[in-house]
Amino acid sequence: MTAAKAVQAFVDTVDAAAASYMEACVHCGQCARACHFYETNDDPRLTPIYKLQPLVKAYKRHKAPFSGLRRMLGLVPAEVTEDELNEWSDLVYDTCNMCGRCTLVCPMGIDIAAMVRKVREGFVAAGIVPEGLTGAADRAINIGSPLGIKPETLRKIVNEQVEEVGIPVELDKEGADYLVILSAMEILNFYEVIGALARIFKQAGVSWTISTEAYEATNIGIQMGDKEIARTLVGRIVDAAEKLKVKYVISPECGHAYSALKWEGPNLVGRPYSFKVVHILELLDQLQREGRIRTRGKDARRVTYHDPCQIVRRGGLVSQPRSILNSVSDGFVEMKNAGVANICCGGGGGVSSNPRAEDYRIRAFASKKKQIDDLQGVEALVTSCANCRNVIEEAIDAYGMDLPVLGLTELLAEYLEPDGGGEPAKPAEA
Amino acid sequence: MTIVQIIEGPLWYIAAAVFVIGALWRIIGILRLGRRTDLSVPRSAAFPGAVKALFRHMLPHYGFFNRTKLHVFAGYLFHIGLFVVLFFAAPHVAFLKEHVLGFGWEAMPHWAFIVSAQAAFAGLILLWFRRIADPTMRQISDADDHIGSWLTFIAMLTGCLALQESNASLRALHMLTVEIWLIYFPFSRLMHAFTFVLSRGYTGIVYGRRGVTP
Amino acid sequence: MRLILWVSLLVAVLAGALFANTLSPLAVSSAMAEESVPGETLGNESDSDLWRRVRRGESFTLSDPRLGSGVLVQSEGEEWRSIRNGLVSWYGGILVLVGLGATVLFALLRGKVKIEGGRTGKRVPRFTMVERSIHWFVAAVFILLAISGLIILFGRYILLPVIGPSAFGAVASAAMQGHNLFGPLFVVGLVVMLFAYGMDNVFQAADAKWIIKGGNLFGGHAPSWKYNFGEKTYFWLIVMTGTVLSVTGILMEFPTLVGELWYLQLSTILHAVAALLVIAVAIGHIYLGSIGVEGALEGMTEGTVDENWAREHHDLWAEKVMQKMAENEPKGATKPAPGAAE
Repeated sequence: MTAAKAVQAFVDTVDAAAASYMEACVHCGQCARACHFYETNDDPRLTPIYKLQPLVKAYKRHKAPFSGLRRMLGLVPAEVTEDELNEWSDLVYDTCNMCGRCTLVCPMGIDIAAMVRKVREGFVAAGIVPEGLTGAADRAINIGSPLGIKPETLRKIVNEQVEEVGIPVELDKEGADYLVILSAMEILNFYEVIGALARIFKQAGVSWTISTEAYEATNIGIQMGDKEIARTLVGRIVDAAEKLKVKYVISPECGHAYSALKWEGPNLVGRPYSFKVVHILELLDQLQREGRIRTRGKDARRVTYHDPCQIVRRGGLVSQPRSILNSVSDGFVEMKNAGVANICCGGGGGVSSNPRAEDYRIRAFASKKKQIDDLQGVEALVTSCANCRNVIEEAIDAYGMDLPVLGLTELLAEYLEPDGGGEPAKPAEA
Repeated sequence: MTIVQIIEGPLWYIAAAVFVIGALWRIIGILRLGRRTDLSVPRSAAFPGAVKALFRHMLPHYGFFNRTKLHVFAGYLFHIGLFVVLFFAAPHVAFLKEHVLGFGWEAMPHWAFIVSAQAAFAGLILLWFRRIADPTMRQISDADDHIGSWLTFIAMLTGCLALQESNASLRALHMLTVEIWLIYFPFSRLMHAFTFVLSRGYTGIVYGRRGVTP
Repeated sequence: MRLILWVSLLVAVLAGALFANTLSPLAVSSAMAEESVPGETLGNESDSDLWRRVRRGESFTLSDPRLGSGVLVQSEGEEWRSIRNGLVSWYGGILVLVGLGATVLFALLRGKVKIEGGRTGKRVPRFTMVERSIHWFVAAVFILLAISGLIILFGRYILLPVIGPSAFGAVASAAMQGHNLFGPLFVVGLVVMLFAYGMDNVFQAADAKWIIKGGNLFGGHAPSWKYNFGEKTYFWLIVMTGTVLSVTGILMEFPTLVGELWYLQLSTILHAVAALLVIAVAIGHIYLGSIGVEGALEGMTEGTVDENWAREHHDLWAEKVMQKMAENEPKGATKPAPGAAE
């Protein structure tokens, strides 16, 4: 019966776009060459298009043009079984970041990454989801954050940052222009970003606030393919933003959060927002261009930039992080294939919240490592996704590398011109 | 009626009808599924993105060329060769003018035909070999892939065997294989010759809305 | 699978009908009756009409600038014809049969050459995707050329009596057009092959020892790098006969390249001799590469061979490759195995 639920979900999820993707595939195998999981495992099963097999079979059996005629001739594929779904579970959840490099390489332009999301919807319907993800989803729904961060914890962390930088942050401030939401990883591991934002926004004269009702940007529903959960989580942000009557919601340095809020959110809640969604990189870039952010000095280290897939390849923000980075760095070098074709960290799309996938994730980083090694000595890696940052830090440990990973917002804040001139900024990590 | 007359008469009309109706049916069957209106605020326009993607995916992406060059090389060789032969071979131009379109265009010289046919054969052999030799390709290939490749190969081969244009049986054999190919076409992956517009277009819409330049 | 069944059923019915028709000259001529120009479809005058006019003493103007078209009768042509259709066909045919016979004899006497140490299950990379693609590309073209070429040379003795003049006319025309089309692809393949495989086929000191031991064809063990002496010899035979075939083939396909008809006559003879020689030897190559030697084919299909096969057949090469593999093993960094099971 579980399989039947999945099949129903598969069939329901296929629209004209998905159908044209499945109809157009010529089994050329180019997508395999784009996948960092395939590359680092050398396993034919990990070919991106092969990961869609259960969905393709259900579609061909029940929904494709001529499926009636084919059924009469006995030419449709067999019904998807529960065993098959279990067998595919690691392909769908453990070895795909939905990073979309396969989409880029496909001669037919098939959006395989988006299709994997649809496959996951079927797996959710059948209840075949890795425990790591369901656990995170429970915490997100019941506590408010996939990492279990409660409002009290948030208050405590914000207060620490307020003391650290000496700038007050008003929580739940009605009528502020911008609502800042954060990814769980930022709140727990990279909380300096709150202080950094406070300093930047003070200089730029931006009115902003953080809500204690909706502070969590990550959307585990989007990652695991559960539309209901995704809708609930986006709904919280929408409610809070509308309650506080903000004009903008700032999507933080987090990849899937941006996709969830900006591109999928309105479709999930079923109406356009009353506010605009702006990514922190877009905002910082705009403030810089308007001359509202003034920096002094530049970081002399040789640094490179890791493009988070959902922000760059799937989000369209390529030039903004580069112009921000160039404004505070003298030694910025690009990796090979930087920009839209950059290789994923290996932890996106829920893979990092899925302990079962850890081996795969660490191994997939070898592709990223090669990109870094090819630069022959960079002193720091900058990125703009807290999840990428955490995943890369863990992998760097596992590979015994020595490379600091920096967040772009924090790096920018390091080089802000101090109020009224004053002494030059200190180098990052000093 | 001789078998040659059947092949060049009624069977041709049947094959052409199956091809046209079947292909249309399949494309309409896909489009009919529809899409929900995207409520998100686009960064840039969707339609130019779709057009861009249509052409962008025709070329190998710079980030991957080194990994896929054998396939890219064979793919271009085959597709360009086949396209040129299909639409610019003198007998094809004459056939299309007299029996299908009512108008013709300049056909290519014989040597150009030979070169493009050779390119098509070389490409197809390489592509099919890759399909059977690479474990990854074997994993994702099915019967349709092989039937499509072989029918195309046989149709091309019979065409080239009839090059002397001095034997009605050889010409009819080519017609017959092409008719089988046409009938098989709408039910198979050969349809990618049309569906690529849809798949690239839909992805292009996403690129366009999100302001991604692939 | 069921799809294949349906399609092949359809193909069989239609092709059968057509083939039955090809066999009947009447049907073909009735189809031709529809043509507006009587005689051949190209509209040429028939030979007998032409000769009749010549006998009547008519004079002709020469509109065809092609080589030899100004010569009405070229007596060397008869000499050429008798060599090609006599000497070359007869002894060449025997040569091919000898190749076949020798292979069968070897198969009977030596049997399948087994991997003596058994399979280890460990694989050694032997041919890259590109190398395999080149091989199979040349192989496919070679087989198409060999079949069409054999029809052109021997069809008149073997096929003509069986299927009759009308059907043979079609088959022969098809064979020639196919041969002309695929020929240049072989030339390209040959050049690519020379660059891809040439370096490893240069004769080395180890080959002398291999000759003394007679290889491992007769049971012994003989040293070898990536290719053994026999394989190298076969490679250079392909290169040499291939060059002859390419040059003479191009001359025949573009007859105006040379000014003398005599060159073309020589070309057809050399072409046939080289082709028959290489076909005779290729039979042995195909046998040894497929069923004759256990584990050999995998190198060309999968790209990898068993470690023991590598040691037994190409010891020197195997040692080097395995050493390289050991060096490339990841050191230090975490490289966990896939799956949580381990």
